[in-house]
Amino acid sequence: MTATATPTPATSSTTPDTSAAPATATTPDTSAAPGSGTAGDARPGTPRALARHRGRLIGAGVVLGLVLGSVLLGGGSWPAALGVDLSGPLERVGDWIVDNRDGHPLFLYFLGHVSNAVVVSVRAVYLLLLALGWAGVTAAAGLVAWRLAGARLALTSVAAFAVCAVLGMWVPTMQTLALMVVAVAASVLVGGLLGLAAGLSDRMHRVLRPVLDTMQVLPAFAYLLPVVLVFGIGVPAAVLATVVYAAPPMARLTALGLRGADAGVVEAATSLGATGRQRLLTARLPLARKELLLGLNQTIMMALGMAVIASVIGAGGLGDRVYQALASVDVGAALAAGVPIVLLAIVLDRVTAAAGERLGAAPAARSRLGWTLALAVTAAVAIAGRLADRLSWPDGWTVDTAEPVNRAVDWMTAHLYSGVPVVGGTADWAARFTAWVLNPLRDGLQWLPWWAVLLTVGALALLIGTWRTAATAVLAMAAIGVLGVWGPALDTLSQVLAAVAVTLLLGFALGVAAARSTRLGRALRPVLDVFQTMPQFVYLIPVVALFGVGRAPAVAAAVVYALPAVVRITAQGVRAVDPAALESSRSLGATGRQQLLQVQLPLARPALLLAVNQGVVLVLAVVVIGGLVGGGALGYDAVFGLAQGDLATGLVAGAAIVCLGLMLDRVTQPTQRRDPAGKGA
Amino acid sequence: MNAPHTPTTPAQSVFSVRDLWKVFGPKADLVPADPELAALGAAELRERTGCTAAVRDVSFDVKKGEVFVVMGLSGSGKSTLVRCLTRLIEPTSGTISIDGEDVLSMDGGRLRELRRHRASMVFQHFGLLPHRTVLDNIAYGLEIQGVGRGERRERAAEFAAKVGLDGMEQRRPGQLSGGQQQRVGLARALAVDPEVLLFDEPFSALDPLIRRDMQEEVVRLHREEGRTMVFITHDLSEALKLGDRIALMRDGRIVQLGTPEEIVGAPADDYVRDFVRDVPREQVLTVRSAMRPALGDEHESGPALGPGATVHEAIEAVARTGENARVVEDGRCLGVVDQAGLLGVVAGVPVATRKAVA
Repeated sequence: MTATATPTPATSSTTPDTSAAPATATTPDTSAAPGSGTAGDARPGTPRALARHRGRLIGAGVVLGLVLGSVLLGGGSWPAALGVDLSGPLERVGDWIVDNRDGHPLFLYFLGHVSNAVVVSVRAVYLLLLALGWAGVTAAAGLVAWRLAGARLALTSVAAFAVCAVLGMWVPTMQTLALMVVAVAASVLVGGLLGLAAGLSDRMHRVLRPVLDTMQVLPAFAYLLPVVLVFGIGVPAAVLATVVYAAPPMARLTALGLRGADAGVVEAATSLGATGRQRLLTARLPLARKELLLGLNQTIMMALGMAVIASVIGAGGLGDRVYQALASVDVGAALAAGVPIVLLAIVLDRVTAAAGERLGAAPAARSRLGWTLALAVTAAVAIAGRLADRLSWPDGWTVDTAEPVNRAVDWMTAHLYSGVPVVGGTADWAARFTAWVLNPLRDGLQWLPWWAVLLTVGALALLIGTWRTAATAVLAMAAIGVLGVWGPALDTLSQVLAAVAVTLLLGFALGVAAARSTRLGRALRPVLDVFQTMPQFVYLIPVVALFGVGRAPAVAAAVVYALPAVVRITAQGVRAVDPAALESSRSLGATGRQQLLQVQLPLARPALLLAVNQGVVLVLAVVVIGGLVGGGALGYDAVFGLAQGDLATGLVAGAAIVCLGLMLDRVTQPTQRRDPAGKGA
Repeated sequence: MNAPHTPTTPAQSVFSVRDLWKVFGPKADLVPADPELAALGAAELRERTGCTAAVRDVSFDVKKGEVFVVMGLSGSGKSTLVRCLTRLIEPTSGTISIDGEDVLSMDGGRLRELRRHRASMVFQHFGLLPHRTVLDNIAYGLEIQGVGRGERRERAAEFAAKVGLDGMEQRRPGQLSGGQQQRVGLARALAVDPEVLLFDEPFSALDPLIRRDMQEEVVRLHREEGRTMVFITHDLSEALKLGDRIALMRDGRIVQLGTPEEIVGAPADDYVRDFVRDVPREQVLTVRSAMRPALGDEHESGPALGPGATVHEAIEAVARTGENARVVEDGRCLGVVDQAGLLGVVAGVPVATRKAVA
């Protein structure tokens, strides 16, 4: 998802002739000296030597740092002298905003209008959905799915909406849907425009790319607090947080599509005398359709994920039901609201994905007729529903699932939680995991002198990435200390590390197995598909049912959430290994084990590094949300800040989450350091 | 070293190119202006300035109605050169004129006019729009010009038939073979009825058999319409087959410009000689290169050949009759070709050592 580092040729012509004469006259980047590849062949100077001894140099640096640190700085947590207490100023900012929300021109003439517009549009969509009635909405969903994706998905959609109604969740579903519609429309607009700018202007691209890249690795939770600070708790804040979170993929993919447009086609259009606008409308945008639809798909999925999480700041709807239910550990109620979220996610994902695959298959004339038909049927069904006075789902048709589920959970609590012979119970597992893994890890991290943590972070980042990623990582980590949340941040970090370790262990094993056995690969695929579409929030429900509340369930939810991505990337990486290399090793008589260890895994190294990076980012996102189910640490601070209106605490925790996310991403960010620098020459 | 281009009056030439340079890299415009830099080799130039000169000091004219071939290996600058003609790549210095009008001073609108109506291009990798049907691809140039849907579809259908794509109008480029895709590219270029057709290695990506079909298609189109063509290729046999005149490029310069016969028969330097060494000379050179004056009554007997006949044809005639062949133009005997002369041509014995009339 995040690391689509596709090199996009900026020049318009890439024929063999001109590619022999590109402007690769970039001045030698002294910063990237340890590994400037082919250039090193010409001058066997220091950079090459440095590159060869990189690992040893870093090791020496760490040892030196350890000695110096222990002599000069001593041990202990982040020194208070180096911290800055932000709670005072932040509180003043919060107070100022609250005081001026009704009077200051910024609010009167800009933010107020934004907020009103959001409220009005969400309300309008919501009323429209209610006016269509359940029959109308279900019919519309089915027909849209039929037009875009075929009969099977149409049936799935109808069934999904029917289940939402049967579970008694029709109104919350519509609330979530209304919020989603507005948020997705705004995200697509904002993201599309940003993407257009980045796709057409190199300068915009240079400015936007790092920003979008960073936004994409930050946990959804971090976006909530700044929005609340400005807009207060409520629907506008929820929608805007969703837009901020969901627009980046649209922008990224729009830019990617526009930049990746076949240079030959664009040149052909130019050679026929097309103006810039004609080129954009007839060639570049149509050529980018795949990416645009993929961007829409990702935006919708992220918007759904965020719309659910934003229940914490007043989004209402399904997320709110889950949130309330989790707060009182009412698994049955949480599940009744969680199932519609999952169904909504699956339907939205499959329909938009299928629309992308079907692109251009249907002739235009027939499809217009089909759409007219769909519209007419929807209207007819809606009117029929209204005439029959069946706008809202009849109460008698709903099924109360909360009670049986809760009974089942009670039974589980009684029989599976603990005391199961030999294997022990789930609660025992959780307790043991907490006592034997999480606690030592947390205490160990917190015992480490602060400078040793920084040193470790820097050394790790340097080993995997470049000096630049290392510097960012160290600075981000130091910022956490300065913010004064060193302790909770290390607590969160310990949960992340434990979850990542488990995720990678399981993920690599499953991924390699899936890559080597076609049957397992095929069996896993639909499971991974479903798991990857579900919003983070939903994973908390089964975990609470199984393990109760605490840090271990948060870790478990994070593992389950991150596992599919890791398995998938690993499997793809191992499978994509050059068949010729594999064949040659087989022709030399290598055993399956030798092939795996000597050919497949080394060649899949970039994919494995990417899997680690993705795993870390995804795990952090859920560990933070785990604050809702007793995960404590930064996530809890953020939730507490929101719930108590103590924005200073919340914002500091949010900023620390951002820093932690940045640090973890940069430490694990594989760069193209090993690639030859002057490939085009 | 200046290319030996044939001087022509501007009225006859469609494109007239003088002292054209294209340099890629920082401060590229300094290179052509500085005689010292301009004389440097590619490697030295890159070391000194970080620049690469793709086209160096090139001058030539494309005459109306001819097929002008620019031929060279990859990296010789030929594709850059053809893109400079319509400023798809902006030249660094020099002049280009089309029908006497300066191309480099054209503003955006005028330049688009040039690209829309006067010169259209066929690309090596086709450059078709994958989401449109064959018909709409052919009509694309007309659409850009603002021609209405009905009219442009009609014209496009006509050109689809002309290049042999009947019945495939509703397919998409992805459903066509490479040769068929290039026919679409050709039809798209033809549909705007340009004064000049520019071909950038149009058949390099095609299989040999299909390539031959397409070459014959181009020969046929040229015979039927007499349209001016600039044809870029790295394939010598293609150049010899299609070209009225050939400009041979190396490292951005034109090393020789002449008819196929001049290139093969009188290579300008060792590079060209090396290049044309494996050419079946008897199929390119005409009997003029093997001819000697008639002695005695030789001009009265033997098979008669036109002066444009190839050596290959002469060998066949001589071998069949056992006599020396006469070269006859308008009933007048220009000379005779005998076995020794023909063998000399095939063996590549330099003209100077034979008593032949060039």
